[in-house]
Amino acid sequence: MTDITSTSPAQSSSRPSTYKGEGLKNGAIQALLWLNAVIMLYPLFVMVMSSFKSNAEIFSSPLALPQGLNFANLEKVWSETNFLQYMGNSLLVTTASVALILVVSTMAAYAIARYEFRHSGLWLMFFLSGMTVPLKLAIIPLFLQLNALNLLNTYAGLILVYTAMGIPSAVFIMTGFLRALPKELEESARIDGANELVIMWQVMLPLARPAMVIVAIQNAVPIWNDFFFPLILITSDSLKTLPQGLTVFMGEFVTDWGVLFTGLTLAALPITLLYILLSRQFIAGLTQGAIK
Amino acid sequence: MTAERRRNSSPLSRRSLWIAFLLAPAAVIMMTFVVWPLMSALQLSFFRFEGLTPGDFVWFENFNKVLFQSPFREATYNALWHNIVVFFALMVLENGLALLIAYALLKELPGHRVHQVIVFLPVVLSAVIVAFLWKLLLHPLFGVVNAALGLFGIMGPAWLGSEPTALGSIVFANVWHWMGFPTLVLLAGMQRISREVLEAARLDGAGDWTILTKIVWPLIAPSVTIVTVLTFIGSFNWFELPLMMADMEGSPGRSTDVLALYFYRTAFGSVTSGIQDFGQGSALAVLMFLFVGAVTVVALKYLRSREIEI
Amino acid sequence: MTIAKLVRTVLLGGITAGLVTNAALAADITFWTWRQEDKAAYEQFFAAFTAENPDINVKFEALPDDTYPTMVSTGLAAGKAADVIHTHAYGWLDQFVRSGYLEPLDQAAVPSLANFTPDAIEALSFRENHQVYAVPFATMTLGLFINKDVFEKAGLTPPTTWEEFKTVSEALKAQGIIPLANGLGTSWFNEMFVSVFTGPFLGSDFGAELSTGATTYKDPRYAAALSKLLELRDYMPPNYAGVDYDTAGQLFLSGRAAMLAGGSFDIANYRKLNPAINMDFIAPPAASAGDASHASKFYDGGYAVNAASPNKEAAERLVNWMGTAEFGNMFSNTLGNISPINGVEITDPILHHVAELNQTAVPHLNVVYFRFGKPTGSEILQANITKMMAGDMTPEQVGVEMTNGIATWFAPFQGK
Repeated sequence: MTDITSTSPAQSSSRPSTYKGEGLKNGAIQALLWLNAVIMLYPLFVMVMSSFKSNAEIFSSPLALPQGLNFANLEKVWSETNFLQYMGNSLLVTTASVALILVVSTMAAYAIARYEFRHSGLWLMFFLSGMTVPLKLAIIPLFLQLNALNLLNTYAGLILVYTAMGIPSAVFIMTGFLRALPKELEESARIDGANELVIMWQVMLPLARPAMVIVAIQNAVPIWNDFFFPLILITSDSLKTLPQGLTVFMGEFVTDWGVLFTGLTLAALPITLLYILLSRQFIAGLTQGAIK
Repeated sequence: MTAERRRNSSPLSRRSLWIAFLLAPAAVIMMTFVVWPLMSALQLSFFRFEGLTPGDFVWFENFNKVLFQSPFREATYNALWHNIVVFFALMVLENGLALLIAYALLKELPGHRVHQVIVFLPVVLSAVIVAFLWKLLLHPLFGVVNAALGLFGIMGPAWLGSEPTALGSIVFANVWHWMGFPTLVLLAGMQRISREVLEAARLDGAGDWTILTKIVWPLIAPSVTIVTVLTFIGSFNWFELPLMMADMEGSPGRSTDVLALYFYRTAFGSVTSGIQDFGQGSALAVLMFLFVGAVTVVALKYLRSREIEI
Repeated sequence: MTIAKLVRTVLLGGITAGLVTNAALAADITFWTWRQEDKAAYEQFFAAFTAENPDINVKFEALPDDTYPTMVSTGLAAGKAADVIHTHAYGWLDQFVRSGYLEPLDQAAVPSLANFTPDAIEALSFRENHQVYAVPFATMTLGLFINKDVFEKAGLTPPTTWEEFKTVSEALKAQGIIPLANGLGTSWFNEMFVSVFTGPFLGSDFGAELSTGATTYKDPRYAAALSKLLELRDYMPPNYAGVDYDTAGQLFLSGRAAMLAGGSFDIANYRKLNPAINMDFIAPPAASAGDASHASKFYDGGYAVNAASPNKEAAERLVNWMGTAEFGNMFSNTLGNISPINGVEITDPILHHVAELNQTAVPHLNVVYFRFGKPTGSEILQANITKMMAGDMTPEQVGVEMTNGIATWFAPFQGK
């Protein structure tokens, strides 16, 4: 008997192991997980430390702690960019894009996964085809397209481009998960006379929460971090996203690694904090589909 | 809609309408902002370029160049080979480790929530940060990695500067950056396995390895499909990390060159080495499209066939 | 574009929260550059320009280096590019001209073109008809940085010949100083490294011979010059293969290395990073005593007028002003680069020295001659030089690769 069936650690530790090696083995697993945690966290620690260092310090003693908390780099970034404005823009663009991706992709994936209709396989391939080559290739026609639609230098333009880029993998992931849901639930709801919308919304989609969480995070991260498309599609300073604004700013300090790390840390900070704050919900969402 | 009309409309067409309604928004957005621009770019592969604008229609001249003419041919196969290496390396390292970690997390040992948060933490970072960090950590003179090796009296190599280690170093940084993602996808798959099944196996005396390979592995087939296909497509679109950890040229000596870099360099040029050739760049992109598309179709067929309904 | 129209009608009602850039004032023009770090300087220049031309305001927009070619070609293709565009010279300019994106300049509209040498004008001209398309902005000189303090402390004098270079380097090494800071971790910087040390061995005529096809990179002189680089490996930092441009600068500035092969464009940068540094910029070592030594040189680029600009007249007035000695003096003194404008007074002692080196400098070969087709000479050299330094390729093989690659688009090399 192991703790695999229980959810509370306290309960599990009080339970006797069925064989002697169990405790030792779990200890080894724990040790490996912690080793992994150190490898995951150490570089982040270096990054934060580096942002308090001067250029010379980074090169002469990259491992050492900074000589005191030097906020000069931070001040420089803060005073010379519209940091809050950029962050607000990034939040707006990322949230809107992810929401739109979730809505339209879930709809499409639901159609492909749960209904049998002609060419449903072709539809999946159509959506997948958007992933096979980087959209960067098409930047000139894309730019012309947005120009024709009067969407250059707008939030809407950027959001629609990100949505279009996110749809392929989102449809793919959602299709995979939705397909794996048991048919019985759907059938019994149908027999009970529920219409298709109700079946989708109230019966099936709640079961697909983990996939939605995965899709959301998988898209939010690259969208939040992207600077290529804003650089090309956005020109007004008031509409710039955080990575875009900081990329341009950091370009003025190309050889100043301290400022560079500060800029990078600040760019990463909002989404990292957001992730840590929401991690409980994130993980809860992810385990929602668990069949206990 | 009145009750009268509802009764008149055939169930089939109402169902079709419903399906069309579900598909339409995603399809329209994709058509407008991905498919149409991509098609317009891809058709440029049939033109010889005069500077930055298309000149004569030359049929397959650009394809002929990148596939069969020296020195482009060598560059194409070199980059393709690296993409293949990256795919297999990521499958084994990133997804292999992710599978083990996901299984360890599934056991819900004390502290598993903390680990779940930590393993995913690097995923939220941008490739720019990851590249800067690992360049610093792997720095040939000041880097932590070589300093650590120095403690054991080993003189570490110039990780990113020498041909035998450069690609591997970037793959490693990629594993560090993205491992959390397959971990969570696989974990989400594992959590759908009924606890009774696992418990029964354990009562029968099955060890962890047997449970992982004989029970968990087949039951998480849908997650494995997702992870494999995304890794494959990701490996062939691999761009930002090699660009920022090495450079646009795939340095040193093209040892980190991959198709996306090669195509971007060809299409848009690089200030410090080359000029633009959109025709040839588009030809490369078309070939990538065909190759990745074809392999994905075949792979999906195979992967789907091994999925079982739970 | 039917899809576009369809989608536009659907979208306009809902989500289009468009902000349109104001085009109210006819004399508001925009300047695009990749020189993000020069923002403050250019804003100062443009303020001086507006003081003299109150009807024209210039907006400075810096775009990241990496994406600059993409953004310029995208902007030009859609008619959304800046009025005045900072462009690189030679092949880079060539592709924009070929597409008709840039306005040809003449002395009627831009009289300051008379302030340049024919050499400078040619660098910013379309090769096929020698029509000039941009006002040249800077020459870049490649040579050897010397940390004078390090040399003084070591009791050595900077080398002037190859043999001296080796003796001095051995002596520096014996004292625990890295003789040469360069590594091979940054491919564009590697090409400059090659140019610095091979220049004196190739001499002043080699470039001209290459440009007509009278010789190719298969010439034994080229292989001999490249093979000299192999001797440098003993004097480069440990793990030099991975030492990149930033690290090399850091090694030199901190005094851990005594010399650095680099470009005059870094003089101002190095002073900013280490204001206390006592350095000089000298010619690379001559082949042997009595031989002339040659630095390498190229024109970095120029200021061009967008052919589709609605403010062409204002744009031309700006580029004309950017060709005057008034601008040149400001430019050289503020940014620490050599302006090629006649009549510019260079007061800084190191820059003055660089200007002298320019008199006998040889062209930076691939940049000047072989970036007009794919694959460029630079691409091939950059991809192969690390292999040669690692011993995986011979200098002869590098020459063959370069010749054969360039021959795919450069007729004078074909069949050679």
